Amino acid sequence: MNTLMRWIGIAVVIFIAAPLVIVVPMSFSTAASLQFPPPGYSWGYYQQFFSDPSWLRPAWNSIYIATMNTLLTMALVVPATFALVRHKFWGKSFANLMMMMPMAVPHIVMAVGYYSYFGELKLVHSKLGVVLAHTCLSVPITFLVLSANLKGFDLTLERAARSLGATPGQVFRHITLPILKPGLAISALFAFIQSFDETVVAIFISGRDAETLPRKMFDSIREEADPVIAVISTLLFAVVFAGLIVPSLIKGLRRMAGGTPSK
Amino acid sequence: MGLSLSALAERKTLWPWLLLAPLTIYLALFFLVPLVEVVIMSVTEPRPGLANYEKVLTGSLYRKVFLNTFGTALLVTLCCLLVGYPLAYLMSTVSKRAAMGILLLITMSFWTSFLVRTYAWMVLLGNNGPVVWLMQTLGIAEPPPLLFTRLSSTLAMVHILAPYMIMNIYTVMQKIDPSLIRSAESMGAYGKSLFRHVYLPLTAPGIANGSVLVFVICLGFYVTPVLLGSPREQMAAGLIGNQIEQFLAFGLGSAMSIVLLVVTLVILGIYHRRFGLDKLYG
Repeated sequence: MNTLMRWIGIAVVIFIAAPLVIVVPMSFSTAASLQFPPPGYSWGYYQQFFSDPSWLRPAWNSIYIATMNTLLTMALVVPATFALVRHKFWGKSFANLMMMMPMAVPHIVMAVGYYSYFGELKLVHSKLGVVLAHTCLSVPITFLVLSANLKGFDLTLERAARSLGATPGQVFRHITLPILKPGLAISALFAFIQSFDETVVAIFISGRDAETLPRKMFDSIREEADPVIAVISTLLFAVVFAGLIVPSLIKGLRRMAGGTPSK
Repeated sequence: MGLSLSALAERKTLWPWLLLAPLTIYLALFFLVPLVEVVIMSVTEPRPGLANYEKVLTGSLYRKVFLNTFGTALLVTLCCLLVGYPLAYLMSTVSKRAAMGILLLITMSFWTSFLVRTYAWMVLLGNNGPVVWLMQTLGIAEPPPLLFTRLSSTLAMVHILAPYMIMNIYTVMQKIDPSLIRSAESMGAYGKSLFRHVYLPLTAPGIANGSVLVFVICLGFYVTPVLLGSPREQMAAGLIGNQIEQFLAFGLGSAMSIVLLVVTLVILGIYHRRFGLDKLYG
């Protein structure tokens, strides 16, 4: 039983790794279509991606929309999370449920709603429309990450500062904010990624003018399976890889430099 | 005195709602209103009445699509479980370093855009792809078509959703006290019976969490079935997209959306009453 489970487990590791590994060699291929093994290797498709406005524009749109989405989401979610984690009040469980609702509704359902609603508001085919929609969808995950951080916050630190004569504003600036910084950064990152990756709503409302990268990729895969997608996939993959590997490398370096054994 | 006390009480309940107000108004305007609009469209387009629901709930095409959606979601959940359980088990038995390596791989997969992962399966299973190439090398002259079938979309969805299952089960497995297993062994439980009477019940909460999550996400899946699935075996989200984009049948698309939403909410609602929704995504 144990050995069987282990062998299946190893097979699953390969199953999970294979699709992640395969796009990298394909992005350097010289073939005009998806061919494996590639007949030769070159930077051709990378050059194509970085010189083609029909790919670069959606990439910039996505970065812009995700950034705006992050700012708006944080401005709305941070105060709300403080209210929900630190206060007891009438209607709290309702408010909690409200924060989670956008996660429970399938994106296709929201896409139908936005398609018609934003049509009336003249917000389809606009970046503003995509930002407004994405912000709703980013609320739950941002709230979850931030509230987990806030729940672990040691309130005695704030009380100590207050007892030493700090004003509430000073406590927030010098105690609360610095301690919460990593939590705020991570929840902002989650909001950014949520928007950057969101595909379904973007397909329906972004149009040609506010076309996001996932929408462009979706259309391209649907129509012709352009090998440039392998380039974008490799680049996105590299970003994720760097985001996960680099922090642990830095941690390792710090440990070695500091000479303190890990705990 | 009485005044200041009531003022204090008032401030205590008002302050949190003041902090919540911007978000509440925002969600009402940009989340609730569009959702209500879908409900309204479902009973007014093209003319008022319940005709859309009648069609969606009794028409043979719609019944087929909904059945197919449930079947696929069930199959994908089952596959995720069959794939996820052994991997979580492997992770909880190997050395810490190896477990970290696998965890890194799963995290990486999770964070890679599912559009990228869908595309990767297209490359893997394509006519000139590595799987066909391997089959030909092994002597299968004419490999069966792999792409745009039930197989390709199921494989990709399992790959995309498996991390949810694995993480949920692994979290539970990690918390199992090894002395429980040892004492069960010392009392004569081994192999199958140890697994069935000790290990499986202990990991059941993780299985429940993961399964609900995978099933619900799969029910509403749009991108992967549309790009990789067989056009003859559509899922609900794909058909809704068609109704809106191609046929401009807003009423039918909305009615289907509401049916999909109600089913999703019922499942999540049952889950919420038993375990609490916030645990699901934690």
